[in-house]
Amino acid sequence: MTEANFKDRLSFHDAIETMEVDFSGMTFAADTDVDLVYDEIDQRAGATGRRWYFLVNYTKCVIAPGAWDRYAARGKNANINYGLGTVRVGASAQTRESIREDAGRAMFRANIFETRDQALFALAEMRKRRAYAGEESTDAYLRVEDVHLSFGGVKALTAVGFHINRAEISSIIGPNGAGKSSMLNVISGCYRASRGRIFFNGKDRTHLRADEVARLGFARTFQNIALFKGMSTLDNIMTGRSYLMKGNFLTDALYLGPARREEIRHRERVEHIIDFLEIQAIRKTAVGKLPYGLQKRVELARALAMEPKVLLLDEPMAGMNREEKEDMARFVLSVNDELGTTIILIEHDMGVVMDISTHVIVLDHGEKIAEGTADEIRADPLVIRAYLGEA
Amino acid sequence: MLYREAGQFRSSYAEDQQIFPIRQDRIAVAAMLVIAFLVVPFVANQYWLSALLTPFLIFSLAALGLNILTGYAGQLSLGTAAFMAVGAFMTYNFELRVPGMPILVSFALAGVCAAAVGIVFGLPSLRIKGFYLAVATLACQFFVLWALQRFGWFSNYSASGVITAQKIVILGYTFESTESKYLLTLAVVAVMALAAKNLMRTGTGRAFMAVRDMDVAAEVIGIPIMKTKLLAFAISSFYCGVAGALHAYTYLGTVEPEAYSLDLSFRILFMIILGGVGSILGSFLGAAFITLLPIFLSLLSGAFSHLTGIEVSHAILSNLEAMVFGALIVFFLIVEPHGLARLWQIGKEKLRLWPFPH
Amino acid sequence: MHFFFEVLLGGLLAGIMYSLVALGFVLIYKASGVFNFAQGAMVFFAALTFVSLLERGVNIFLAMLITLVAMVLIGIATERVVLRPLINQPQITLFMATIGLTFFLEGFAQLLFGSQPHGLELCNRTEEPRSCIRDEPMTWFSELTGGINISQFDVFSAFVAAALVTALALFFQKTRIGRALRAVADDHQAALAVGIPLQHIWAIVWGVAGFVALVAGMLWGARNGVQFALTFLALKALPVLLIGGFESVPGAILGGLIIGATEKLAEVYLGPYFAGGGIENWFPYVFALVFLLFRPQGLFGEKIIERV
Repeated sequence: MTEANFKDRLSFHDAIETMEVDFSGMTFAADTDVDLVYDEIDQRAGATGRRWYFLVNYTKCVIAPGAWDRYAARGKNANINYGLGTVRVGASAQTRESIREDAGRAMFRANIFETRDQALFALAEMRKRRAYAGEESTDAYLRVEDVHLSFGGVKALTAVGFHINRAEISSIIGPNGAGKSSMLNVISGCYRASRGRIFFNGKDRTHLRADEVARLGFARTFQNIALFKGMSTLDNIMTGRSYLMKGNFLTDALYLGPARREEIRHRERVEHIIDFLEIQAIRKTAVGKLPYGLQKRVELARALAMEPKVLLLDEPMAGMNREEKEDMARFVLSVNDELGTTIILIEHDMGVVMDISTHVIVLDHGEKIAEGTADEIRADPLVIRAYLGEA
Repeated sequence: MLYREAGQFRSSYAEDQQIFPIRQDRIAVAAMLVIAFLVVPFVANQYWLSALLTPFLIFSLAALGLNILTGYAGQLSLGTAAFMAVGAFMTYNFELRVPGMPILVSFALAGVCAAAVGIVFGLPSLRIKGFYLAVATLACQFFVLWALQRFGWFSNYSASGVITAQKIVILGYTFESTESKYLLTLAVVAVMALAAKNLMRTGTGRAFMAVRDMDVAAEVIGIPIMKTKLLAFAISSFYCGVAGALHAYTYLGTVEPEAYSLDLSFRILFMIILGGVGSILGSFLGAAFITLLPIFLSLLSGAFSHLTGIEVSHAILSNLEAMVFGALIVFFLIVEPHGLARLWQIGKEKLRLWPFPH
Repeated sequence: MHFFFEVLLGGLLAGIMYSLVALGFVLIYKASGVFNFAQGAMVFFAALTFVSLLERGVNIFLAMLITLVAMVLIGIATERVVLRPLINQPQITLFMATIGLTFFLEGFAQLLFGSQPHGLELCNRTEEPRSCIRDEPMTWFSELTGGINISQFDVFSAFVAAALVTALALFFQKTRIGRALRAVADDHQAALAVGIPLQHIWAIVWGVAGFVALVAGMLWGARNGVQFALTFLALKALPVLLIGGFESVPGAILGGLIIGATEKLAEVYLGPYFAGGGIENWFPYVFALVFLLFRPQGLFGEKIIERV
């Protein structure tokens, strides 16, 4: 392999901000091979002065075990210096394994696809998401790193790490007792992890209280519905506006003037949400009197009222029939589509998970056993074994 | 027929959020206020004003304060009388030691002192709940009474801690007569009741109720639990403090720390249980009930004496009163835990349909 | 130094008496999940009944029996009239119902027996010759320890309390009924579902609590006289519960000892700095409060983990 040959394998597609690297059929036998290639990449990419998405073709590419570490290190460097995200095409099984292992340890996304088209589609999704972000960092939107959690002697979570990209719908799945709700509780600040860190938008937010986390832009629903039973639907949703409301108890006591204006302004926003979720008829009903499915919808409304950046849904479709599930799925997709809200979902219904999520994380006995796209997870033997038991 | 809402449409959020959305309610409340302010002082006799209406208003205010803390924010408190005592004694001291202090400002400052005490003794609520908290509020009750008795400064070194309220002078007018005292009390209570209603129907009130109903969920929505609980204690104690100040200045005239004993705290708790926990109207209904009940009982015993010739001693009467209170509490908790306010609501519902059965 | 030990011992012994009252609370809470604010009123009622019977010339042991029957009847009546209609209501509702019960019992007791204070002597007969337990120092102990005075009455109370506590602890841990009681305290509906006869259990429990109230009433009444102020003494049992945890019999004992000791010591040694004393009224509460800040469930209470 000569420099000249390699130059041909490196191309820049300006329109889609992508740098395409064709490693197909190449062999990296030693560190020197790796360096040769990456020096070229570094130089040319650096010369452009901007950042690129990487589209890497691994078909029939062989990386010798001896060269792997060097390869991974230089790849990581490239990402940090001028990468926006990576999609990989057609990696061999061995390469997949190595990349996956690294992904598990270093918490970056593997993003491996069968065909170039699939990879390009994923790339388009990434770009769309980035459109919402504007100038923001390419660091993962929400990153969970090496989280451990125990209750007394019970280890609920062990070394769980993953990252969520902006405006995507991720699902956390796993058998009962896997630690899914606990993970959500750690993310929302209800539980304090005994070890590990959580980064949001690049900043470490591990030690924040639940209400501080909420004010950062995290909203959640609960498995067992945590509505305020003493209030009506409207009041419940209005409580969701709490941290957005200006004013204090003195203006509230006076009511006329600032408090009244705030009430009306927020009422208008809440009514939008009520329309969106089609719960107009039960506005003034005490929530304790509502059937289960409607209570879940009201809880979702309350979470939406917070205008969250990240929405955590804990089994939003539990106990619903087919139609209700479809309604709920429709709402979730709309929220993600129209508002660009990042969504993390815990769900047992595999159909729903496969249909609406772009990213799936699988937990079992408190550990992460798999992570990837819905299709990858479906076929992953570890996941199948966790759910169905040993063959 | 009278109480139909037909034809009353609310076409803006402002209209929907009124305190009295139904026109008949507005008329009734306006009429009641007119009567209370303009008619009663001329028509009612001294006894009614000084022994019934004025204390009713004062205890309504105290019950309102307790309702804000226990009914709306869900923090059980048995120290209500202590806050009233702070209000009474601090007003006395402000009037005494600061020359030319307007009385209303004294009331307000005394309320603020009570609020400060409330915040201090409300701190435990951040760690403990339910009846653990109730027992903790007993600490407040006993400590405050002890302090008022032991530290002569509070009562200007008078024997046994007795204080005599100074005259109330506002803008040159001396509030001497029972009528004027009644009107002053009415004005203060009306304004504070309106403020309370406003508080409870806006963000502050919703935060209180959220903390009451499920504080974990409230936290996750972004409501700061600590600040909310302490604010509830502060506002509640402020109301009780002002009620205590009025208690000393427009009702009894002369008070001592023992007047604000645990017994009074329980009495006010009973007012909100009977009247309706978590309801502004309930505070008034409960206060009316508890104020009138002893009178009712003594009338009954008077009639009994008349008929049978047996004298009913004062001691027996007060014991009967305690028994009746206790029995009523249990009765209401079983039959209508939401108190008289709910009965009132049910009555209004039936009135909306009247004369039709359904 | 002598003085310190005297105060300490006196406090500890008084603490045992607080424990007795707290024990009644714990019993009912363990068995029905109800925080019985009326325990103090029950102590008062028992003491008043007992002493009124004695004053009418009834033999001491017969008086005890009659009072016990009365307490059991009150317990059963309470269960039927107050508790049964309120099954499955939130704890706070039941608590407020027992506050109502307190007022009722206090008024009722004084209605029946009058409101003047009564003196009480624990003797085995009303006429001479008789042997009584008196509030006098035990001379042999003073001689033995070189001048520390402790009252024979306090020691007697301590023995009684210890015996009662041991019996109750064994009852809860070892017997079938004890297990049933613990099940009921955890979850009424689940207990019903398993076939535990709720009403019988509660009648038993309130009966036992009534007996504890009687013993406490006799001892406290003999010490301080039977008068309305007795109900405030009973309120002192509340800080004991805060410290010991609401569900623990050993906690009630330990809590009582701690409160009794700290109260007396604070009064004697800190009192003079606080405007001349009288801090007994509030010190136990503030002490318990501060204690709770560090350990919200008390010494032996159960840590509540809220699962969301």
